[in-house]
Amino acid sequence: MLRIEALTAGYSAIPVLNGVSIDVEQGQFVAIVGPNGAGKTTLFKTISGIVQPSAGSIMFEDRDLLSVPPAQRAHLGIAHVPEGRQVFPSLTVMENLEMGAMTEAGQRDWKHNIERIFEWLPVLAERRGQFAGTLSGGQQQMLAIGRGLASSPKLLMLDEPSMGLAPTIADFIFERLIEIRRQSRLTILLVEQRVAEALESADHGYVIEAGRVALEGNNQTLRADDRIRKAYLGM
Amino acid sequence: MTQALEGFLQALSAGILIGAVYGLMCVGLGLIFGVMRVINFAHGDFMMLGMYAAFYLFTALGVQAAFGNAFGPFVAILLAGPILALFGYAIHLALISRVSGTRTSALEGEGHYAQLILTLGIALILQNGGLIVFGSVLASIRTPLSSSAWVLGPFFDISIFINKARGIDAVVSFIAMILLTLLITRSRIGKSLRAAADNPTAATYMGIDVDRAHRVAFALGSGITAIAGGLLATNYPFHPFVGVEYVIVMYAGVVLGGMGSIIGAFWGGMTIGLVQQMSTLILPTQLQNAAIFVVFLLIIFFRPQGFFGRVVERT
Ligand SMILES: Nc1ncnc2c1ncn2[C@@H]1O[C@H](COP(=O)(O)OP(=O)(O)OP(=O)(O)O)[C@@H](O)[C@H]1O
Ligand SMILES: [Mg+2]
Repeated sequence: MLRIEALTAGYSAIPVLNGVSIDVEQGQFVAIVGPNGAGKTTLFKTISGIVQPSAGSIMFEDRDLLSVPPAQRAHLGIAHVPEGRQVFPSLTVMENLEMGAMTEAGQRDWKHNIERIFEWLPVLAERRGQFAGTLSGGQQQMLAIGRGLASSPKLLMLDEPSMGLAPTIADFIFERLIEIRRQSRLTILLVEQRVAEALESADHGYVIEAGRVALEGNNQTLRADDRIRKAYLGM
Repeated sequence: MTQALEGFLQALSAGILIGAVYGLMCVGLGLIFGVMRVINFAHGDFMMLGMYAAFYLFTALGVQAAFGNAFGPFVAILLAGPILALFGYAIHLALISRVSGTRTSALEGEGHYAQLILTLGIALILQNGGLIVFGSVLASIRTPLSSSAWVLGPFFDISIFINKARGIDAVVSFIAMILLTLLITRSRIGKSLRAAADNPTAATYMGIDVDRAHRVAFALGSGITAIAGGLLATNYPFHPFVGVEYVIVMYAGVVLGGMGSIIGAFWGGMTIGLVQQMSTLILPTQLQNAAIFVVFLLIIFFRPQGFFGRVVERT
């Protein structure tokens, strides 16, 4: 579904990604892990068109994504739940969800989507009239996820949904994601610092270090890998 | 005593009437600043163009013949709105978009310098171009309503005179403001404008074309200020440099309302109108503008974020 090949990208003259190749199949749950500053967020921004690559290709459903303007990419079915949540602070919870549903598919499925989103993340229903800027961090993260789901995406990209949250809240959000995935069978690309959880629930994983794919494999191979066990799982 | 009260009420009503038009004028600028964070120095000159557009529509292009002397001016003024909106749309497409929006999101500071220089340049071109095309003779959009009044009262010997043209100007301003508020708060377009203002990057992730949202805001803001300018022109004569006189009031209104708040800009403009008219009760007319800025400084001193300054931060 998403095929990234030999992608090189960065900011101005500073290269960040260096020949990254990643594959996400329809229905797969793929996790990307790696140390701070490895380039995971840069990868997501390149997929969304905020960062321009200098080499490589990104195909989405047999379409050359790099020739699609950034604002059109959501309409193809890519939902980006960005690092640091980035909800619209002066819009209400409901309006934020409506912004998620700007895509045609989101418009079409609005009623159905909003019901499911409220069922999965009931706090959003309780707070629907509240300004997003006044929500707690965990609530904002749930809103960011709900906003992504409201577009009826084919691919949901999540960038560190547990960032800056208390462990219990992060656990809760992770558990919600697993539940959402179980019920919706959505294709998910997840960047996560909580390596153990991420690799446990994902079908396939990539380790990115210093702008390169250092390691990849399915769930079992990665968790059995010595380097992963030492560097990320503390074993 | 009665006389003093009558004078007070008269000044108050005059302040509300002119304040509504100032409010509308400020909202046009406030919308552009709120959504795009671009400081448009040429906004007063866009208003000047709106005044001339209404003037020529009325006198030369048949609106007077079709709608008569009394209401023709208001028809011409409302038509000037869409014309200036198109003009704003084109100016954004051709010029402003080159130094704002997604093209400059990577170079925040430099984008602002380029914007200042560009909009100042546009202002100078419009002023001097206006001088060549329209000439330096004062123009005005005359309606017989400018020289007649409705009388409220007498209530206990107190009567208040409402200039008919100014009364209609204020009503048009309030209606335009209500429609705009509905558009911004309720419609999908309005919500996406606010989202693009809050966080352009996240808006792009939602599939909102931020540059297009900016263009819509710029066009809308230009059209609204053009209408406000036309309304002012029913009472005040104008010339190609009139924008310079009003652009200061516009910025004061936007700052008073709270930078970035669209509704706040209206109340900022209203405050300026009220202070200007009320000050005539105790100060000579030449000091009207001084009074505006003393009050402006006082308000900013005690409430630097303006009336409607944002409580929530931009992420
Ligand atoms: N806007 C920017 N301009 C210049 N350099 C940037 C910019 N954003 C990120 N970088 C640099 O690019 C590198 C990769 O950053 P990126 O945010 O992609 O890392 P990450 O893997 O997401 O890290 P984290 O786990 O901390 O989120 C870092 O060295 C960072 O300093
Ligand atoms: Mg990151």
